[in-house]
Amino acid sequence: MTKPRTRSKMFHSFLHDPPAMAGSAILLVFVLAALCAPWITPQNPYDLQQVSLEHFLKPPIWMEGGEAPFVLGTDDQGRDILSTIIYGCRTSLIVGFSVVLIAGTFGVLMGLLAGYYGGWIDVFSMRLADTVFSFSTTLLAILLLGVFKKTGIVTVIAAISIADWVRYARTMRGSVLEVKEEAYVMAAKATGARDFRLLVRHVLPNAIPPILVVVAVDLAVVIMLEATLSFLGVGVPLTEPSLGMMISIGKNYIYAGMWWMVVFPGAALILLVVGINLFADWLREELNPKIGR
Amino acid sequence: MTTYILRRLIQGVVVLLAVSMICFIIFRYLGDPVLTMAGKYATQQEIEEVRRAFGLDQPTHVQYGRFIWNALHGNFGKSYVSRVPALGLILERFPATFELAFTAMLIALTLGVGLGVLVSLNPSSWPSRLVMAGSLGGISIPTFLTGVLLIMIFGVYMGILPPFGRGETVQIGFWRTGLLTADGLKHLVLPATTLAMYQLAVLLRLTRAGMREVLAEEYIKTAWAKGLPPGKVIVKHALRNVLIPVVTMAGLQFGELIAFSIVTETIFQWPGMGNLLLQSIYETDQPVIVTYIMLAAFLIITINMVVDILYAVLNPKIRYD
Amino acid sequence: MRSKMAILLVGLLTLGFLTAAQAAAETSLVVAVDTPPRMMNPHGDDSDAGLSFMANFFDGLLQRKGPDGKLVPALAERWEHPDLLTWRFYLRKGVTFHNGNPFNAEDVKFSFERLSNPEVSEFLNTGKSIDSITIIDDYTVEIKTKTPIPWFANNLHQIFIMDKESTEQRDPGDVMIHPIGTGAYKLVEWVKGSYVRMEANENYWEGAPAIKKVEVRPITESSTRFAALVSGQADIMTGVPVELFEKVKANPKVEVISRPARRSIFLALGNKPGDPWADIRVRKAMYMAINEDEIIEKVMRGHATPAAQIPDPPTIGYNPDIKRLPYDPEGARKLLKEAGYENGFEITLTGPNDRYVQDEKIAEAVAKYLAKVGIKVKLDVKPKSIFFPEVSEGSLQFYLIGWFDGTFDMGRTYFKLAHTRDDAKGYGGLNGTSYSDPKLDQMLEATADMVDPAQRKKALEELNKYAMEEKIVWIPLHYQEDLYAMQKDKGIVFQPRPDRWMVYKEIGVK
Repeated sequence: MTKPRTRSKMFHSFLHDPPAMAGSAILLVFVLAALCAPWITPQNPYDLQQVSLEHFLKPPIWMEGGEAPFVLGTDDQGRDILSTIIYGCRTSLIVGFSVVLIAGTFGVLMGLLAGYYGGWIDVFSMRLADTVFSFSTTLLAILLLGVFKKTGIVTVIAAISIADWVRYARTMRGSVLEVKEEAYVMAAKATGARDFRLLVRHVLPNAIPPILVVVAVDLAVVIMLEATLSFLGVGVPLTEPSLGMMISIGKNYIYAGMWWMVVFPGAALILLVVGINLFADWLREELNPKIGR
Repeated sequence: MTTYILRRLIQGVVVLLAVSMICFIIFRYLGDPVLTMAGKYATQQEIEEVRRAFGLDQPTHVQYGRFIWNALHGNFGKSYVSRVPALGLILERFPATFELAFTAMLIALTLGVGLGVLVSLNPSSWPSRLVMAGSLGGISIPTFLTGVLLIMIFGVYMGILPPFGRGETVQIGFWRTGLLTADGLKHLVLPATTLAMYQLAVLLRLTRAGMREVLAEEYIKTAWAKGLPPGKVIVKHALRNVLIPVVTMAGLQFGELIAFSIVTETIFQWPGMGNLLLQSIYETDQPVIVTYIMLAAFLIITINMVVDILYAVLNPKIRYD
Repeated sequence: MRSKMAILLVGLLTLGFLTAAQAAAETSLVVAVDTPPRMMNPHGDDSDAGLSFMANFFDGLLQRKGPDGKLVPALAERWEHPDLLTWRFYLRKGVTFHNGNPFNAEDVKFSFERLSNPEVSEFLNTGKSIDSITIIDDYTVEIKTKTPIPWFANNLHQIFIMDKESTEQRDPGDVMIHPIGTGAYKLVEWVKGSYVRMEANENYWEGAPAIKKVEVRPITESSTRFAALVSGQADIMTGVPVELFEKVKANPKVEVISRPARRSIFLALGNKPGDPWADIRVRKAMYMAINEDEIIEKVMRGHATPAAQIPDPPTIGYNPDIKRLPYDPEGARKLLKEAGYENGFEITLTGPNDRYVQDEKIAEAVAKYLAKVGIKVKLDVKPKSIFFPEVSEGSLQFYLIGWFDGTFDMGRTYFKLAHTRDDAKGYGGLNGTSYSDPKLDQMLEATADMVDPAQRKKALEELNKYAMEEKIVWIPLHYQEDLYAMQKDKGIVFQPRPDRWMVYKEIGVK
């Protein structure tokens, strides 16, 4: 493993990579919008007091029959599409970041222990990881939720995390195996540094860069997965906002020509994921020692 | 070698057992299938009688033991909903899923690898950039959304492709195929495209990345320098090395393919196994869900094992870890 | 060329898609229905969706005919009810099963006994209520019930007669997928997930049906079903989604048919002592806070009629004097204040999201109306496979459900839905809130062995009025409407049935 580039150098390259900047900008906008949702949306679509059937199925404001303040129209319960999208992105991001945090922490820990100690921990955790991995996160999450039968954001986060940690564990293990052999780790070991100190001070920080790429890619994957699960009706319940759920509702109306209930939430979802992927692509190139730039 | 294979086999069996046990325990504590099986007007006593008839009154470990014993004899229990063997119910749907997944994989592999190679040769030309942008879209649009959008565009607005079902099918022995009729093929276009899209983008990006690495290698540079024909350099020297990880990846993505076939089949009402699974989940048809999970686990573990063993045979160095 | 023209037309007129539309022969029919059959065993599925398929392959001793659902003879030519417990049936002669076996009393005895086998039957309740079945001669059967069951005959159109000999001889798995009955149609092919094909039984005892070939395509997704109709892939569709109804109606090639459905949709509300909603004033307030007219207009798109009680007019026990409480949010707030709940309270509204027309949307709307008078509603909607077991457990607070009674007699429904839960006697099995009112129980039990129609009618009507007006056991919402659509130029003569069954022998061609 070559030494990671210094921070300033990375930042410099970031500034010279328009797609990466665009990606981060998109992500930033989404995060800000999600954080400020209560203040910037015309309506809280999940506050029953605010939503009224009076304004149901309105087209976007520029079409005939459109009506302020429903810029992108309303759905069949009279919820403002724009507001629902923003609240839905909030769910997407909450699920995305929570899973990355939970599955990431657990996976990194497992990978670290497996890679550093080897032995039965390694055999056991990697065999488990292999199995979970070959089932694929999506299949496992669908099956888990199908079996759990309880919908809700927490359940979704739990199910995806259970299915997802192996991504981190495998990468981390590989990375640790390389770092372990590096001269400075060997040297520290020779001076009699204790395992814990060695792990935290030397192995962990040097093994982490590849994990960053996994984090970025995974965030996109998890957001898509949450939408998929909610679309299938095994994810977030009807009473909570979700882009997948919006598209699932909107799908019933495409034959009635009401395209806006699918197209806008779909566009928001794609934009969000593209933004994350643009950033992930840059990060991957940046941290891949094999391809010089 | 024999020890290695044996060890993998034992591990496989242990995993299968673990999967079945987890399924069983979870189901034990969720939902009571008996209530719906006794009919709308059944009294409590009648409900208990149904419970006894299906052996659901016995302790979990007894039920589990019986399940394993029966499973070893190829009997996975009867569906609570249609009251016929669950395995048969699933296998009956296999041809539909296979034809869909196979077509999708074919599209993904040929287009993915082909475009990946082309793009890597001319990275800065504008068609390449366009393809790369497209591949970014490909990995950023979830399968269900691809499906809904394709239905909207080709099914609803343009009205040129049928958005649901399998169309006209032909029965050949136990296999019911939609590949032999024009109508069946027409019905295959949208779902197969939907299922292929994500895989295509992944394989394209993988091929491109691999090609970029290989093309930078010394021996390729030497080959160019020697003035060998480009086709030979690319196909014989470069692509061969890239293809192994790509194909392995495609093989290992089997679980992913099953997962996304569930999504695709649901959107297009494709009468395959994934559609059945989701319906069974909605209806709490436990025997079918468990059988499906066991079957998927069995297939995935077998494929992994075969891949690993082949690797061990081809590359003696990694045999014993 | 012709099919190309058709595509163009469909594309222009509607938003159809390509079809493999071959000009279908006049006597064949493609029907898109909303629910797939679970099996071909006539006793294994007591849902109307399942019975709707079975009614074409099998006959009962009696049948319900046509648009009014009148009970008329089928395999029994006539029947007698000599005493409270005894039902005697005189069977039709010369009827044969699809496999050529003659129909006789043995088959009737076998079929009714099969009802109490839990492995193959969802009609356990009917099966267990029978004490004995006696074959008097080849064409006379006497059934004795354990207790007087006033509605016994009313249910017999749902109990189909199977061929004893072939059912016993065949593998049980085969019985589940190959129906052998006396019905007007024979099964040709059942491809699960795709279609059920059937052909006319030319030897049918009522005469061969007019439509010779029927292909039934179950398409669960309502919008896809709609697409199948407008593109010409289906001739008739059931369950037109209300959100697309106007779209269908505007299509010149399609004719829509709506008929008031028997099923009422209502909210069940518990009365556990201590709960705010055990107070009759709170119950009234909740009733008055719901704008049912708006629900009908916006959620149901006009395809429902307001209900003031659970049974529909043709049911014994329907009381025309019962009126809805008016929509009056102000009055509701006042009542809540009187009851001491000025600041509202919290309640969980449970409901299915895949069972009734717009079910989850109705629940959402109800939650909204109650929120406006200060009651905080936690919505908990879920698939029917999880919801109904919860109802059976009886620990819900407040839930949305729909009901109609196939027997046209309210007694059985009330025992199941409103009587205090009593597992030993089998009462209150679907009383999901464990509602309990001793006076109601008493009135109900008094009707159990009342067979005199006039007396029974009076007692049930009184009971109904008491439950709806004095106790507000339920908050009624509306009666659904069944919506169908069919191709205009096919010359199909189709009148929907009250039970939503699709019985193809009743469909004609011009």
